[in-house]
Amino acid sequence: MDKRIVLITGGNGQLGSEIGRIFLEKTTDDIVWLSVRERRDRADALMARFPDRCRQISLDVTKESDWKAAAARIESECGPLQVLINNAGKHDDALLASMPVETWLDVMQTNLQSVFMGCQAFLSQMISRRRGRIINIASLSALLPPPGQTNYAAAKAGVVALTQSLAKEVARIGITVNALCPGYLDTEVFNGLPENELEAIRQRVPMRRLGRPEEVAAAVFFLASNDASYITGSLLKIDGGLL
Amino acid sequence: MDESELKKKIKEMMVENLMLKISPAEIGDDQPLFGPNSLGLDSVDALQLVVALDKNFGLKIPDPAAAKKILESVNTMAAAVRDLQK
Repeated sequence: MDKRIVLITGGNGQLGSEIGRIFLEKTTDDIVWLSVRERRDRADALMARFPDRCRQISLDVTKESDWKAAAARIESECGPLQVLINNAGKHDDALLASMPVETWLDVMQTNLQSVFMGCQAFLSQMISRRRGRIINIASLSALLPPPGQTNYAAAKAGVVALTQSLAKEVARIGITVNALCPGYLDTEVFNGLPENELEAIRQRVPMRRLGRPEEVAAAVFFLASNDASYITGSLLKIDGGLL
Repeated sequence: MDESELKKKIKEMMVENLMLKISPAEIGDDQPLFGPNSLGLDSVDALQLVVALDKNFGLKIPDPAAAKKILESVNTMAAAVRDLQK
């Protein structure tokens, strides 16, 4: 496999750092950029293990200027980006009736607008090489929206629609665009949840367990590989059979 | 680079980047790129041309309105590149 330049947003999160780990462990040449904000502990740990191939970049995914700066820096230091993994996201749940507009906008900007800006920032690099992989981390909430997540579910459904529309725009240029919809993952999101509530979640999942971040990361790695060259505009749910 | 050399390079860039099934010499200097009686390019080709003009000649096309004017023909693209070089 040729050397690839990879950017993972939300690179210090449990899923983002796991995706980074898989790319770094399974390849010998890939350069992996992890976007970080305040916390950098997981990204630092990966950099310590792979000092030559793992890099960090400070990036607020809601700011267009940050995206432009990131695109310029990565291209000047490493060359054109080949794999963009839009993983950064957040949720801030509330019932719609009482949800402040600011909460709605914040979640839309972080989960949806960020994907638009990220794709726009890096598309020209991919177009010039006629090669690229964009993998957007959506959510099962896009397909099975729970109450209290009108903002998050709408944003992630937007990510799915953006993925499918953009895939058609750039298919013949050699760029694939796909989305993953993880279900319940065993991440810090569930820290502090009482055991009985956690068990109730497990019982809803046909596999009777939460997903592991590495199980999503493996799917991301596949979609970025040459083996997935004819897959674009696809939506892959990773939910233990929930939907 | 003289006028004819510049246009030749633009045509070669078009054939290579858009994977056209014709030779550069078959593209007319004034032949419309889009619409009736044109080369038959579409919006995805335009996107690729915008990127290729930047990469090959440093010509940055700022918005869709400018793109519409510059991407009319080989002549208009050559004129935009020449303006940049002045």
